[in-house]
Amino acid sequence: MTEKDFWLKSKIAVIGGGSWGTVLASLASNNCENVRLWVRDDEQARVINSTRTNPAYIPEMQLSANVKAYAEIERVFEGGVQGVLWALPSSVCRELARKLAPAFGGEEIVIHATKGVEEGTLRRVSEILREELPVARIGVVSGPNLANEVARGEPAATVVASRFDEVIAAGQAMLSTDRFRVYAADDVIGVEWAGTLKNILAIASGALDALQFGWNARSMLLTRGLAEMVRFGVALGGKPETFLGLAGMGDLLATCSSPLSRNYRVGNRLAKGEKLPDILKSLGSTAEGVRTAKSVYEFAKLRGIEMPITEGVYHLIHSGYSVQDVMSALMVRPQRPE
Amino acid sequence: MESSSPLIHFDDLRASVLEDVAQRSVSDLTRTVNAPGKMDLLIGEALYAERSRLKRNRPGLFTRGRFKGDARLWSSVQSDLLRPAVEADRAVALDRIVRHYGEEIGGHFNPRVYNFAVHAVPFGLNWLLNAASMRRFVPWGMTQSLEGRMRVTGEIEALKKLSKKGTVLLVPTHQSNLDSVLIGYVIYLMGLPPFAYGGGLNLFSNPVLSFFMSNLGAYTVDRQKSNAIYKEVLKNYSTRILREGVHSIFFPGGGRCRSGAIENKLKLGLLGTGLEAQIENLKVGKPNPNVFVVPMVTSYHFVLEASSLIEDYLAEAGKARFIITDDESWQALKVLNFFWRFFKSQSSMTVRIGRAMDVFGNPVDDEGRSMGPNGTTVDPVKWLTTLGELKAQPERDREYTRELGQRIIQSFYRENTALTSHAVAFALFESLRKLYPELDLYRFLRLSLQQRMIPIDTFRQAARDLKVRLVALADHGGIHLSPEFLASEDWISDGLRNLGLLHEAAVVRIDDGAVFTEDMNLLYYYRNRLAGYGLSLLADPSQNSPGAYDRKGFLA
Repeated sequence: MTEKDFWLKSKIAVIGGGSWGTVLASLASNNCENVRLWVRDDEQARVINSTRTNPAYIPEMQLSANVKAYAEIERVFEGGVQGVLWALPSSVCRELARKLAPAFGGEEIVIHATKGVEEGTLRRVSEILREELPVARIGVVSGPNLANEVARGEPAATVVASRFDEVIAAGQAMLSTDRFRVYAADDVIGVEWAGTLKNILAIASGALDALQFGWNARSMLLTRGLAEMVRFGVALGGKPETFLGLAGMGDLLATCSSPLSRNYRVGNRLAKGEKLPDILKSLGSTAEGVRTAKSVYEFAKLRGIEMPITEGVYHLIHSGYSVQDVMSALMVRPQRPE
Repeated sequence: MESSSPLIHFDDLRASVLEDVAQRSVSDLTRTVNAPGKMDLLIGEALYAERSRLKRNRPGLFTRGRFKGDARLWSSVQSDLLRPAVEADRAVALDRIVRHYGEEIGGHFNPRVYNFAVHAVPFGLNWLLNAASMRRFVPWGMTQSLEGRMRVTGEIEALKKLSKKGTVLLVPTHQSNLDSVLIGYVIYLMGLPPFAYGGGLNLFSNPVLSFFMSNLGAYTVDRQKSNAIYKEVLKNYSTRILREGVHSIFFPGGGRCRSGAIENKLKLGLLGTGLEAQIENLKVGKPNPNVFVVPMVTSYHFVLEASSLIEDYLAEAGKARFIITDDESWQALKVLNFFWRFFKSQSSMTVRIGRAMDVFGNPVDDEGRSMGPNGTTVDPVKWLTTLGELKAQPERDREYTRELGQRIIQSFYRENTALTSHAVAFALFESLRKLYPELDLYRFLRLSLQQRMIPIDTFRQAARDLKVRLVALADHGGIHLSPEFLASEDWISDGLRNLGLLHEAAVVRIDDGAVFTEDMNLLYYYRNRLAGYGLSLLADPSQNSPGAYDRKGFLA
């Protein structure tokens, strides 16, 4: 049996019915016969199954008939699944992994799409899943993938990284379409950290845009921000070149330029003087960068990794500094080589 | 001794095992050299490496025969390679090399020699023990025995049970050439059947040792041979005997640890044969197909060859050179002296058996079931199924073995039993460092005798502080402490008495209210047994994982 045939006949579980989870289910439905989407409650499942859309999160996308939504995890894993696409926010990752662990059989290939780390411990999602689930073959999918654009069928590319070649091959087989390219990587640490760190810069980018500067300021932010990402990622064991790829530079450009990005919106509204709790309440879904900024700031300080922009974002969120204060503080830092 | 152990009948099987290993190795190697000319390259590389090895090493009295056999083989391989392939079939040459290696690696087992050894050796040692104790007055008689001096702790019952439910792969830490003797005896004490183990070929150059080793199930591992053909044959041999259900011992660190620290890097090649054997067992539906990996950590107050090891470590700065010739463990008088002092000193050795794991590094319960997180169990067949089929998958299996290696290292650190002498060495070394925080490792080790002296009170305070950190670590299950820490009135005196007892230079001395060392290198060696735990207050707190160095080049 070839790889493609195997995955065509396979059953896939998608854990998490948010916008990106729903899009991943739709991508997989092109390559796999049977896709099961695990959602929060019966009502959401009923709506998805009857309307073939997920109106709460991504109303514009039509789901094909081989995607079924369930609220009971037993139904999702019934008869065993071969692939699991994990699309939950990092804040609930460990708790749900613990709860769902008994449903796993062990042969599953698990690929997660979470762009964040555990608060405080800085454990990456692939590490959490390895610790909590009875499976070994785990990978990550990450890249410049704004859910709405992929849902509309616009061309896009992503990276699947794992230490297991067969996880990468599975990711490519499950998710590739003629509009969606899947690249392979083995630097799991780099890909996960790139996806996590860019959320901090997305907040910075949103805040900067509120001041209505031109392209120079934005380019300065992204380029120096990327330097920060590399510094931090390499200190934690990632490879520098990963940050120049789709999961690093690519995702940074998409997230920091698009008003669709939740983290960008948080930064933008903070800069306009709104209060964080109000913003988070009205956002309705998770902005990973808010939590990440705190954890990364604290860790970088402890380890002596220089991250001035992250520090600025941290103060913007948690110390009540205005974006003008942060901006000026960054601009008057001592002159230094690039 | 259990007569059911397959090792007991090993000599009946030996010929067929070696035949299988040869055929398997030839077919595996032939498959990897699919491109034209690749076969010549494979054999040519082995030839080059072997000829330079033969040139480098001079044969000794007892190794001359083996040396000559090697030389004959390789000069005929060379003349074959110089002729075109139609005249000299490369497949024939490969087959000859593979069989030559197989014969060298393959062990024997002689039950009579085994029975003799397990009875005579302890008898001899007990005799020595009692003779040595004569000088002391033992009020209630001369009942001390060797067992009393060896503390074997940990998951002994689990190991015994699992040895009946599958094949055990025992993976000990490796500090001394005496480890093999000690571990062999511990296995006997626990009532387990004999284990096979890979002994360094250099150990076989002593005819007495060689006789015992090769008749007690040892097969040879020559770390000087690193060519692809040799490695393939060795791996296939190991896989094959594991498949026969022969419990085996590997020292996963490769050679003896040079720095004195617990191993933090493992050789994964041989380790992976456990997984390979299990896959093959599962495929043919063998009963008890599973291989259980059991870590074991030994703790000594003194290591016979410590001086050579640490010197080698410092010279190579961690790049392990595998063979040290003429180190202390080869000198019969030294070995005798070692045992004499050991028995005289009332000092003990500690061996701790860790929790068994499966070939992926998951913990295994007493029934041999692999345990996953959150109350789940792991079915190895599922982890070994790729695209719906149970099969070996080299890329996947390498990654599984890498994870297993990491779990073994974690287990080594957890199961390590800190002895009072280790803590004394650590405390003294670190208090000295506090005086010279700006010095890097090499300058620090060259301090003059005057400079490496601290007041006894300073030292005792440092030792007491260290104990607080050790107890906290032990409370979290990060290490074990020997009973002297808790039982004896003054564990510091116990440590001072035992630290490096055997060495010519005093590793620690007290004179006129000051503590000092006569040998900085040895002090560093014994101190390193507690490296990798983040116990050093001078190390960078972010760099305290196993094997990490701090900014001054010290093991953190």
